[in-house]
Order: sequence, then structure tokens, then C-alpha cells
Amino acid sequence: MTVRIVTDSTADLPLEQAEAAGITVIPLTVFFGEESYLEGIELDNKGFYEKLAASKGLPRTSQPSPAAFQEAYTRLINEGADGILSIHLSAKLSGTYQSACTARDTLPGDLKKVPIEVVDSRSASAGIGGAALLAAEEARQGRDLETIKNLVLDRLARTRILAVLDTLEYIRRGGRIGAARAMLGNMLSVKPIIALKDGEVIPVEQPRTRSKAYARVAQLVEAMGPLADLSIVEASSEVGQELEQALSPVYHGTIAHYKLGAVLGTHTGPGTVGAVVVTQ
Amino acid sequence: MQEQTVRPGRQRQRRISVFDGQDLKKSILAGAAWLEEHKEAINALNVFPVPDGDTGSNMSATMQSAIRNIAKSSETSASDIAARLAHDALLGARGNSGVILSQTLRGLAAGLAGKKTFTAPDLADAMQEAERLAYRAVIKPVEGTILTVVRESAAAARHSAERGDDLVALMQEVVNAARQAVARTPDLLPTLKQAGVVDAGGQGFCTILEGVWRYMRGEAGPAASPATPSTAEPAARKGRVSIEEEYGYEVVFLLRGSGLDVERIRQTIIDMGGVSTVVAGDEKLLKVHTHTPTPGKILDYGVSLGSLLDINIENLQEQSLNYAAESAAEHAAEEENRTESETPRIATVAVVSGAGFEKVFQGLKVSAIVPGGQTMNPSIEELLSAVESVAAQQVIILPNNGNVIMSAEQVSGLTQKEVCVVPTKTLCQGIAALLGFNYEADFAINCKTMTEAARHIQTAEITTAVRSAQIGGVHVREGDYIGVINGDLAVAGQNMDLVIQDTLQRMHIDNYEIVTLYYGQDVNTEQAQEIARRIKQAHSHLEIEVVNGGQPYYAYIFSAE
Repeated sequence: MTVRIVTDSTADLPLEQAEAAGITVIPLTVFFGEESYLEGIELDNKGFYEKLAASKGLPRTSQPSPAAFQEAYTRLINEGADGILSIHLSAKLSGTYQSACTARDTLPGDLKKVPIEVVDSRSASAGIGGAALLAAEEARQGRDLETIKNLVLDRLARTRILAVLDTLEYIRRGGRIGAARAMLGNMLSVKPIIALKDGEVIPVEQPRTRSKAYARVAQLVEAMGPLADLSIVEASSEVGQELEQALSPVYHGTIAHYKLGAVLGTHTGPGTVGAVVVTQ
Repeated sequence: MQEQTVRPGRQRQRRISVFDGQDLKKSILAGAAWLEEHKEAINALNVFPVPDGDTGSNMSATMQSAIRNIAKSSETSASDIAARLAHDALLGARGNSGVILSQTLRGLAAGLAGKKTFTAPDLADAMQEAERLAYRAVIKPVEGTILTVVRESAAAARHSAERGDDLVALMQEVVNAARQAVARTPDLLPTLKQAGVVDAGGQGFCTILEGVWRYMRGEAGPAASPATPSTAEPAARKGRVSIEEEYGYEVVFLLRGSGLDVERIRQTIIDMGGVSTVVAGDEKLLKVHTHTPTPGKILDYGVSLGSLLDINIENLQEQSLNYAAESAAEHAAEEENRTESETPRIATVAVVSGAGFEKVFQGLKVSAIVPGGQTMNPSIEELLSAVESVAAQQVIILPNNGNVIMSAEQVSGLTQKEVCVVPTKTLCQGIAALLGFNYEADFAINCKTMTEAARHIQTAEITTAVRSAQIGGVHVREGDYIGVINGDLAVAGQNMDLVIQDTLQRMHIDNYEIVTLYYGQDVNTEQAQEIARRIKQAHSHLEIEVVNGGQPYYAYIFSAE
């Protein structure tokens, strides 16, 4: 069976890595005023943060249209796919998943015979990326769609994300703050730690300094038990290195680093760094 | 009450062998009145030269609460009077000394349970019970405190009851023993000896006994009624913070002129009804800031003095309405989004002094605030009330004062809710505890985590000594600035800047990353910013945050973490 893997740009998969794995990445769009950029293609992490620093207003983001998905699905089917697994950003954070579902449901009749599974990752960034890479590897080994989907769901269920932010402002203005609004209104300066749970943002703790925040993240990661994988998502190499230093005492495997993309960057702001943990 | 004259022809001495409820009541009222009369003298025994948590006031307030229901009662059963007394004492207990006092009354009630009238042996047994419960209330009993006085008093009562049944004679022996025990406290506690005072709690307890004894001897009638309401009634606070509403306009402008008289201008604006008036500058240029319902009047006045620049007028009510509307809207949105599982499982109750500190705690989403007040520690009832007022069934209490921890610990036994006390001794520790709250963890884990978080923070408090003292080898003169590190007096001096520097040095400030400076109600923003600037200059790696704490007594409170 030839199963093809689709994901979106919020998986923060480096282009070359996605290409090499044969993963199709559908880009979301970031708007700076009137100008629009396809995430990962026209605007990368570095470019985004430079623009963010230089611009007066805040950027906005939007999901891919169903048409973008349909175009990808159609192409893959014509290339010989007999199954498609489409893994996307948490439906509670974006309409991307919905767009993919709509695309699948409105494919023309003759294409409909190819099964397309659309998965709400309930995750973000390398949480999705890791699942997509796993799926691609399984697909390469010839596994069938159902099996790959179950492996992906299993991995996603074991995936946890903890992030340290400079401020809650970006996530608040982007509207995705969820239960973390409990941390708003704090008169003291803190570096909030948030997590993703059931696909949405939840508050964790409010340490006063970055170093305390990293130390806490390390403690929380340690408390999660034996790990299958740990990677870092970073707005900049600097914060990525800092978090790695705090995590190295509690995790002795290799820690992959991914650059936070423009879409998630819009919603979290500069200085963001996260640990994407997959428990055993 | 049966009277019998002894030794006819000689000086008549009262003998009483039985007391009922009314006798008990009148004795206790006399004890409470005598304490109220002497509370200031007892406050003056406070070793620490800062007027917060004064023992005399706390114990008297506790007694006033204790007697508020029995005062007008015509109940004749001693058991009932004692039980009522103990119940009300517990609710009204303030400070550690108040809590221990309430426990002695509980012991009295336990000893007199079921007895409509009582004799000397009964009273001796009850005092034994009082001793037992008093010691049990304290985790680490220390001799040289009220405990010693309670113990010696109970021993004297026992001794007297073994030899005779005269309640007056018993009380006399008790008072003698109590006075001696109080006098000995400096020999038992070095800090008392250094300070040259006896233990305040012990003296307070002794004073109550003296009042009782005086009544029994016929020297004084019982107090007609409980003392003035400010000490007697527990404030009917539910521990909720009232949202201040502001009316009128905020008027700010620069005034340029010549020969401007800052003081006169300020006073005139105040006379015109200006509230929160600040006028700063010199005879050529000054800045005016005030809140007034009639901005036109203030502006006209300014115009008559010179030319106005940078004029800014804000409608205060709109501002506060907007804020209220915004938070109401946010609340409404939250309510909509909230499912049952989202109702806060764990609530926090904090004791807070200072308008600015209240804002900080509110910003940290504390569930209820119990005002700490000026010198008085909140009563058990006030803490209990706050715990009952929150929606959650699991409540964490942050006492934020060493003298409130015991009271907080009593609350658990008075409510169905699950209560945990995180033993914070300062407001800063309380803040650290709240910041350490983990939204995902359960009640038990949070209690531990928050306690840990509170422990790691260093607190320094800077204030002025209200009396001379000698503590821990530091000589303090009245009027000196003093620096207190984590509750211990560390520095004293006449120069505020040097005291601050010295205090921070002793705190090993360079080992920390972030210092938060909370300035008190008598300090203005500029002064605080200046202090912060100097600290930053001396310790460039530190992050310094300045917050308006608005606290009484302590000009500056620093937390280092």
C-alpha cells in the first residue's frame, strides 16, 4: 500500500526534512498589514521575527483554504497514493483541521475511492512534526493506512508540550489563551509556563525569571517518567540553548531543535521556547 | 454563691465555696475589663520595636469577642457560660497569644462541662485542662511564655484546692504564682532578658487572672458591658475585597509662573475639594495632580496663577466603569465558556495589608482576601468566614504573618472544607507561594509546592523603630531605621540609605536574580524609584521591580529570589 503523509506548516518541519521524508506540507498564511506570506515558503523563523520587531502592528494568521488541501490530495492520488494520512494543528487552535476535512468530503467522485484520514493532532509544532515523521517512516515500510493512523494516534497521546513565554500578550491577542487567562492581570513580571492539553492552552506556573522557568520545565519533564523522545522548539537559538542546558541533566538522549514558525510565533511572541516531550 | 465570714472581730475576709454561671460570668467580665485597661502597657512589652501584632491588643480583642454573648446573659449554669465563652473566644482569637488564650478557655469549659455550679477542686481540674490544651495548641512549646504562666497557675490552683475549698484563696494563690511566673520569664527566654521585659503573653494572661481575683475580692464590679465595638465585634467581613469606585475627574497639568508657592497651592486645591492631591516642583514650574468633581474650578485657579501646559483630564468613573465593564464582560465570557469541570477546585485565601499589595494578590487571582489591618491580626472567625465564602471545597490559607499562622491552623477544625495552611510569614512569601501555584497539580501537591516556593524567597523589611530595643545583639534607638531580614532584626541606623544597603548586603543580594521593591503608604513613587536606581547601580546584574505596596509601617519591603 502506498500511503502518503500530509501535514501543515505549523508542524515546523524543516523543508528539506519534509521533502526527504516525502511529506507534503500545506502552508498557513501570515499577514503583516496588507502583505501576506506563506509560512515556511515565503517566511521563515528568522524572517518572521525580524519583521515582527520592525512592524508597528501585530501580524495575523489564517488557515489554508479547503482548495489548497484538495489540490494536494488530488495530486497525491494522481501520483499513485492509495491512502492519505493528513495530520494537523489542534482543531481548538485553528480551522486548519476543518479545512482539511471539508476538502476530503468534497473531493470529486472518482477520487473519493482513496481513503483519506484527517487527524486532529491536538498538538502543535514538533508535536505534529514528530508524528508526521513517524507516519512517513511507517509508510515507507509499506504499512497500511489504518495501522499508521493508530501508531500516530498512540504517539500523539503520549506527546506533551511545555512552553516558556516572555509574555502572555501575544497569545491573549491571538485569542488562543484559553484557560491560561487565569494568569492574566499579574502585576509582577513573570515568564509564564503554558502547556497544551486536549488540544488547548492551559496555564502551568508563573516563575519570575527565565532561569527559574527552565528549571521548572526540567523538573516537570523529569516527573513525566521515562521518555521516548524530547525535542526543543525555539524562537531563537539562544533560548533553545538555554532550555537545552536546563534539560540535559534530566534527559540524556539527543535533543533535536526546531525553529518556531511564523504562525505559532505570531501567537506566542519573541523569546518563546518549548519542550516537546513524548513519553514511553 | 455562699458567703461566710471568717475570723469575726478581725478583718473580714470573703470566703466563697461555690460559684454558679452568673458568678463565673461576672468574674470573666472583670478579667476582660482589667485586661482592656492594661492592654497598652502589655503592648509596650513587645520586644520587637514595630507596632504590629501587639499582644495586649490581640489578647484583649480575643477576650472582648469571648464575652460578647455572655455579657447580657442571665444563664445560671456554669457549664453553659463556659461553653459559650470558649466558643466565642475561638472565633474571636487573634494572634498566637489570642489562640492560646482561647485554648485555655476551651480547657476551662471542658473542665466545667455538665456542672451547673463549681467548687475550688472543680476549678483546679478545669485549669489543669486549660494547661493541657494550651500546650497542645503549640507545635513547639517554649518556656518563658504564656504557657509557663498557665502551667504555674494551674499548679497553684491544684495546690490550693488540696488544702481547702475557698475559691478566693485559690485565686489568690493562682495570681501570686502567675505573677512570679511572669517575673521569671526573662530568666527562661534570653530575648526577654536582652530586651529587659517580661513576656507579653504571660503578662496578659496574668492580668486576666488579676481581674478575676479583684472581682472575687469585691474590689471591682464586673464591667457593665463589653468595651467599645471597635475591639469587641468581629468585623462582619466576608474576606471579599470591595472594588473602589472613583468619581469625578483626574486633573493633571504643568503650571508655569513665577513666585509659585507650592504649599499654598496644594492647600488651596485641597480646600477646593481636590482628593489625592500632589503638587510638586518649584516657584517657576510645578506639576499638579488631583481628583476632583469640578475640574473647571481647579483649572481656573491654575490659570489665575500662570500658564497651563500638558493638561490632561480623565473621567474617573468612566475609567472604573470601563474596567468594571471589561472585567464583567470577561467574566460573562468566562462563565459561558466555563463547563462544570472548570469551576476552581482549589481556592486561596490570603491575609493582606496594604492597598497595593491587595492589587498584587488580586492580580494573582487569590480567591479571597482577609484584610490584615494595622496592628490587629485577623480573628479566627474572619479567616473562617473567608474560607466559607469561596466556592471551592479545597482551600489554601496564606497567613502572611508569623502571628497569624496559629489562627489559620485552627480554621480546619471549624469547617467541612479541606483546608491547608501554607505557613507564610511575610506578604512576599505569600506572593511567592501564589506564584508557585501549579494549575495542573492536585491540592496536596500544591500545598507542598507552594510551601517550598515560599521558603525560597528572602524578605527584607525596612521601617522605623517606635521604641528602643536590643535584639540579637543589635542596639536600636527609638526613631532609628531598622532592617529586618526574614523576621529577624538585623540592622539599625540613622541613615535610611545605609540601613537599606547594609540590609541588602546581609541578605547576600548578589546571589539572587530579581529583587522586588514594595513601597509603603508613606512613600511616594519617586522616592521608591530612586532607591531602586541606586540598588541597580550597586548591583548591575540584578533585575529590580518597583511595586506600590501601600503597606502600613514598613516603608520598604524587598523580596529577593
